[in-house]
Amino acid sequence: MVGMSMQPYGIQSMLKEGYRHLSGLDEAVIKNIEACKELSTITRTSLGPNGMNKMVINHLDKLFVTSDAGTIVNELEIQHPAAKLLVLAAKAQQEEIGDGANLVISFAGELLQNAEELIRMGLHPSEIISGYTKAINKTVEILEQLVESGSQTMDVRNKDEVISRMRAAVASKQFGQEEIICSLVADACIQVCPKNPTNFNVDNVRVAKLLGGGLHNSCIVRGMVMKSDAVGSIKRMEKAKVAVFAGGVDTNATETKGTVLIHSAEQLENYAKTEEAKVEELIKAVAESGAKVIVSGGSIGEMALHFCERYKIMVLKISSKFELRRFCRTAGAVAHLKLSRPSPDDLGYVDSISVEEIGGVTVTIARNEEGGNSISTVVLRGSTDSILDDLERAVDDGVNTYKAMCRDSRIVPGAAATEIELAQRLKEYANAEIGLDKYAITKYAESFEFVPKTLADNAGLNAMEIIAALYTGHGSGNAKLGIDLEEGACKDVSETKVWDLFATKLFALKYASDAACTVLRVDQIIMAKPAGGPRRDAAAAAGAGAEED
Amino acid sequence: MSVRVLNPNAEVLNKSAALHMTINAAKGLQDVLKSNLGPKGTIKMLVGGSGDIKLTKDGNTLLKEMQIQNPTAIMIARTAVAQDDISGDGTTCTVIFIGELMKQSERCIDEGMHPRVLVDGFEIAKRATLQFLDTFKTPVVMGDEPDNEILKMVARTTLRTKLYEGLADQLTDIVVNSVLCIRKPEEPIDLFMVEIMHMRHKFDVDTRLVEGLVLDHGSRHPDMKRRAENCHILTCNVSLEYEKSEINAGFFYSNAEQREAMVTAERRSVDERVQKIIELKNKVCAGNDNSFVIINQKGIDPPSLDLLAREGIIALRRAKRRNMERLVLACGGEAVNSVDDLTPESLGWAGLVYEHVLGEEKYTFVEQVKNPHSCTILIKGPNDHTIAQIKDAVRDGLRSVKNTLEDECVVLGAGAFEVAARQHLINEVKKTVQGRAQLGVEAFANALLVVPKTLAENAGLDTQDVIISLTSEHDKGNVVGLNLQDGEPIDPLLAGIFDNYSVKRQLINSGPVIASQLLLVDEVIRAGRNMRKPT
Repeated sequence: MVGMSMQPYGIQSMLKEGYRHLSGLDEAVIKNIEACKELSTITRTSLGPNGMNKMVINHLDKLFVTSDAGTIVNELEIQHPAAKLLVLAAKAQQEEIGDGANLVISFAGELLQNAEELIRMGLHPSEIISGYTKAINKTVEILEQLVESGSQTMDVRNKDEVISRMRAAVASKQFGQEEIICSLVADACIQVCPKNPTNFNVDNVRVAKLLGGGLHNSCIVRGMVMKSDAVGSIKRMEKAKVAVFAGGVDTNATETKGTVLIHSAEQLENYAKTEEAKVEELIKAVAESGAKVIVSGGSIGEMALHFCERYKIMVLKISSKFELRRFCRTAGAVAHLKLSRPSPDDLGYVDSISVEEIGGVTVTIARNEEGGNSISTVVLRGSTDSILDDLERAVDDGVNTYKAMCRDSRIVPGAAATEIELAQRLKEYANAEIGLDKYAITKYAESFEFVPKTLADNAGLNAMEIIAALYTGHGSGNAKLGIDLEEGACKDVSETKVWDLFATKLFALKYASDAACTVLRVDQIIMAKPAGGPRRDAAAAAGAGAEED
Repeated sequence: MSVRVLNPNAEVLNKSAALHMTINAAKGLQDVLKSNLGPKGTIKMLVGGSGDIKLTKDGNTLLKEMQIQNPTAIMIARTAVAQDDISGDGTTCTVIFIGELMKQSERCIDEGMHPRVLVDGFEIAKRATLQFLDTFKTPVVMGDEPDNEILKMVARTTLRTKLYEGLADQLTDIVVNSVLCIRKPEEPIDLFMVEIMHMRHKFDVDTRLVEGLVLDHGSRHPDMKRRAENCHILTCNVSLEYEKSEINAGFFYSNAEQREAMVTAERRSVDERVQKIIELKNKVCAGNDNSFVIINQKGIDPPSLDLLAREGIIALRRAKRRNMERLVLACGGEAVNSVDDLTPESLGWAGLVYEHVLGEEKYTFVEQVKNPHSCTILIKGPNDHTIAQIKDAVRDGLRSVKNTLEDECVVLGAGAFEVAARQHLINEVKKTVQGRAQLGVEAFANALLVVPKTLAENAGLDTQDVIISLTSEHDKGNVVGLNLQDGEPIDPLLAGIFDNYSVKRQLINSGPVIASQLLLVDEVIRAGRNMRKPT
């Protein structure tokens, strides 16, 4: 720091070297908005079924080709603090619902862009915030009215109903293949849906990606697919009972260090025999309990394996604790800690367990069609890793949507019908409002237009015409008029069957508004000197714009 | 100087240069924190070294996170932190008050006044203000049945300066109820007994008060129940895992049978302990379908967990030390340190125990307890910075409620006290003071006005208009504060805006002291850098 006598006035002089301090409208608020806008322009083109894919190479040189906004922003490693707020909002959406991250970022970006116009008009950010807050409250109100009547209750086991709700979410990731994926995901989810659907656990639908083949070769397995081989020589077992041992299949050992005390050669010989006898006794006990398959969570001793082979028991090793738990859920088994005789209740059952080779990968498939099974696996086939990754993300979105619909099955019209209706009703609301809030609410309403605009743009349609047509339709009372992207015209969504989940939309809009308001509320930024290597330093010095890696 | 007395690397500032440096620093700090004050204050964004984001309106947090280097600013910041330690609120006020005192002094000093005279005036004014504060405060009786309304108003006043209105109002009830929950007659309030837990989930408005406890870990056994009703709670600090002996021991065996025997022997003592707990469970749960929950501060190893799980017992291991204390207060019973003398009396009770899984994290809720003396404020928010912001606010809210209960009085807020004190100093006290110290009193009085001025400024109102309308109302004998919505005077009593007595007292006590010290500095010397270390 410079000598004290030359102190410049103000805060900058009081901070440690390397600190940066930004304040005021121009320096902080507008800059923040710009950064967020840049971020949202990146994701915006990926919105909707015709959205473009992005090729992202992350810091580990891993390639991502995707249109999933959650993945894109995750891998971008945004540095700008304000843009990061949007990313955090998107992540929250991803965690909460698992879909709609793009809507969060794009909508927040749009809100901020409109806020900038208002600021340039002379409005104070606090007035915009109060207007936006009023608007989101009203939006939630309207959104609830837009819920399709009769959708409050649904049968989560009815495949058609499930697919109708899932289609939009999956289609936005894999347009054109949504029918195949939806049907796979719906089947998988319905199979494992517990009695009380709200307890549906996304972890119970697994995805196994196997290179080769095509999407049409994908299938559902009731049970698990593990990318490993069986340990012994027995590779196949039908209708077998399963014993699960979490601790490994080997001789029991003491925690304290043990030493074998041997006085003579005879003892040495005997010792090995007693060991053998002990292991045989254990394996025999397992075999006598009726178990045909042993699954071990730990190491499998050579000797134990030998006896297993002798008693015709198939041995599998699953070293991941979680994987083992899933296996227990598949087979309905209770894991034992140590190798001992399992009680009949603790044994699990599988219809078939076999080692197969698919596309050059050895996998073990455990199937269980019985009721106790709560795991199903979607086996995805595709020609390249990145296609598989992208398919997996689409499946994940689908599964998450299923979870969301199990909790709240209400739906709202999709294909931008809801957005236009919201925009229209909010504008009416704004007109009734007096005071400066009015402008902010109007802008908020206008922000919704970006959805049809982007959908149309991405599909190569004329956005202005579409929006105008939508407004006319909605003005004449057809609240369900949306865009049909294939025909490029406006159509009633009850015909095209594009529905969005109410919860997804609600959370996305709320998170987006929250993030936008937070960005607007900040009027000072104090940045510490970035820690770490020279690369980050350079990036931070480069300053405001979102860093595109 | 012909001979250098100091290390050539040392820096010296003297006389007016030193004074102006301190004054500038104080004003600079005031400028930064000024925009924080009041419900209309703006948020600051702090970006840490690793790019982590923190949003705050709290003066204390801001001072802590900004690494200030200027010596004067550090002194002021420390005073503010002390203010926070003692009363939990008013840090921003302290900083801007000191800044304003320095600003007023600067004017006088530029006119040729000696700092010493000013300091004398400050001292007189400080004493007079404290006396005035005692006559001005509004006493509140806090017997066994505290007045909820007053507590809520105080908490609301504090919270609204930290968070936006809707959330603040919601937190008000939570904060007041939690303090009343842990309050025991005849004992000082221990705010530590309110557990503050956060979950990254849903929205900030989903924050709630849990009557009971929320633990941030779950059971470690896949087969344990996730949810249990009517639970007996055993709070214990007993190791249920095999522990290696202190001495270096080894087993010697010469055949596998012997080894098997050793394996069982090794575990026997642990198993016995587990067995005792199971016996107790069977005793209390026989003939009814109550559940049994063990919350252990020490570890429970997988074999023991397995045994417990087979008995349908929920067991949590490695609970936090602080939660053991709170558990006993929340559920009743007592913490057990040995399993030898377990009695049903040592068990606590909770109506509902369940596990909530959020991604990778597990949370265990112990709810529906009888007559709790400990509770949890469960903060929810979509992201970390929201949670941190609420956390800071809740802390301050709790402190303000506690202060009110202890002070048994409150002070009218919204700038009413400051204006009233200023009028008192100018109209009454100043006349009784002899000589030039009068000017010190005047400077002090004017410095007090910085609070309503800043409030008005942050709300986008005209400061001059506001001060004139406020002082003229006070001259008419009406005690009024500032309405931030329209800039008109309001009665804080009717609007329900109250500040803590102890906060104001601390503020008036510490502010002038530090300002006086800074004014009396006439030389600043910074020692030379260590020569050996290359800088």
